[in-house]
Amino acid sequence: MPQFLAQTLNGLTLAGIIFLVSSGFTLVFGVMRVTNLSHGAVYLLGGYTGYSVIGATHNFFYGLVAAAVAMAVFGFLLERTLISWLHRSEMSELLATLGLIYVIDDIALAIWGGSPLTINLPGFLGKSSTLPLAGGIVYPNGRLFILAISVVVAVGLYALLRRTRVGAIIRAGVDDRDMVNALGINVRRVFSLVFTLGALLAGFAGVLGGTVLNLYTGGDSDILLFALAVVIVGGLGSYEGAILGSLVIGLVDNYGTAYFPSVAYSILFLPVIIVLLVKPRGLLGKAST
Amino acid sequence: MLAALQLSRRFTGPVAGVAIAVILVILLQANGFTSTLIVDMLVYAIVAMSLDFLGGYTGLISLGQAGFLGVGAYGVAIAEAHFYPPWAAVGVGLGAVLVLGLVLGVVAVRVKGISFVIITLAMGQVLWGLAFQWVGLSEGDNGIPVSILPSIGPYDLNNALTLRMTVLVVFAVVALLLITFTRSPFGLSLRGIRSNETRLAALGYRTGLHRYLAWVIAVFFTGVAGVLYVFVNGLISPTTMDFSANGFFVLMVVLGGLGSIWGPALGAVVIVLFQQELSIYLDRWQTLMGLTLIAVVLFSPGGLWGALRAAGRRRDALIARLQETS
Repeated sequence: MPQFLAQTLNGLTLAGIIFLVSSGFTLVFGVMRVTNLSHGAVYLLGGYTGYSVIGATHNFFYGLVAAAVAMAVFGFLLERTLISWLHRSEMSELLATLGLIYVIDDIALAIWGGSPLTINLPGFLGKSSTLPLAGGIVYPNGRLFILAISVVVAVGLYALLRRTRVGAIIRAGVDDRDMVNALGINVRRVFSLVFTLGALLAGFAGVLGGTVLNLYTGGDSDILLFALAVVIVGGLGSYEGAILGSLVIGLVDNYGTAYFPSVAYSILFLPVIIVLLVKPRGLLGKAST
Repeated sequence: MLAALQLSRRFTGPVAGVAIAVILVILLQANGFTSTLIVDMLVYAIVAMSLDFLGGYTGLISLGQAGFLGVGAYGVAIAEAHFYPPWAAVGVGLGAVLVLGLVLGVVAVRVKGISFVIITLAMGQVLWGLAFQWVGLSEGDNGIPVSILPSIGPYDLNNALTLRMTVLVVFAVVALLLITFTRSPFGLSLRGIRSNETRLAALGYRTGLHRYLAWVIAVFFTGVAGVLYVFVNGLISPTTMDFSANGFFVLMVVLGGLGSIWGPALGAVVIVLFQQELSIYLDRWQTLMGLTLIAVVLFSPGGLWGALRAAGRRRDALIARLQETS
């Protein structure tokens, strides 16, 4: 039982990281209809950036902030150049961001090399505590920290989407983009904002992810698959779907790794298949998308 | 001038085709680097053409095609590792990919556009994951070698020349079959699906069935390429079907030109040259390749084949002008 509980916590931690990546991915798709395949590469680049900044400043939190800001700037520039040049052609955007993966991965390989890197958490976060659960299991503080941060971000984003004017515009954009445009709202600025926010979250997740999953060449395609599985399960473009999907995928992947290691990666596909057969638009997907 | 242009319009295609075939046959005679390179190109071209048949004609771009190449190849390798005779192993490889194509097709053709890309990507990654993690079956990262190739009477694939010629013949057969399909009523219906599926369905076409058939054909031919791949390379390992391999095939198709069958074959030639030649001189060849894909998407959506076709159209326009003046 304690072991199962620890695995569940691991799964929730993973779900947290996956959520940080997939929420941006799904919002960008929902509002802009852009499938940014390089989203995973942005995550990886964020992780590497954080690694270097932490190495230079010896401060984990500087690294976390620097990676988030750097990736936000990167995302902003990407949206203003490549994405806007290709606007309104879904497949072209998808293919161009596929090309971008090769570029980002290759440059990351040139700078940070091919061996896996791990980001160490500082002080208290690097230690473990005994939890008052199931007779006291010892669990790393860092993972609880990731879990807590993901919950804070999830609630914060929810409040942004549900309680603010910008959020209302974003939600309206997901429902009916043309109507939002017709109402005289500057959709361009909303696009920029959403894309930048998505990249910021991915960079942020890269540093957090780098503490529990390694940073390595090809790690971006693993994260991308997680994000894709999440949006299939949850529904492309749905924020609540991203939360639900992340929980499902994070837990399934972690139980799979723990209990069925030889097919762990493939077990992820099980919820995806089931959802596709039962509800092809995803559990919380909108009928019109 | 006019006569020369008209000759060019009439004969460029056939002459180029025959010339390329003759050159390939001659180059494939000798063992060595060039023939190895060409065989690689031909095997990848089969995958690229299958992918184009699906993506270019029905609008369903699969980002998981390398996975099916892997299934064909692993089918052969695993069967041989379990002491099946070589021909039976070929049957296992092709059978496995056909069954998988039939089954996964039910899921895949339920969606279109972006969702289709995402789902095929997920399928490809899962197949890769099985090859990588199911060590008991797949030997994991090391891959499985295949050393005994099929033979019947004097026809012996263990002979390198016979194998190379077989690859060439299979390539030609697949290419001609796919071209025939695209020109048949079935192919026309696929194009109709790409431009306006609702309308086609309203006209009474069973569009879902047509998409399903196109998927099965594309998956099966990719599996055929997989069988050839493992015979040519003597080894199948998970890297052959990883994310970046899936991207390479899409790159071949887009670079060559979606919806032209021959274009993606040309794309395969270029990408294999990138991978195997340019990588010797340039460390950052992947960057260059990614930038190439972005540039093609931005500036030349028709790809290389589209550029050739444009040149052909300019010639035809010139012919028309000259005919008017004379």
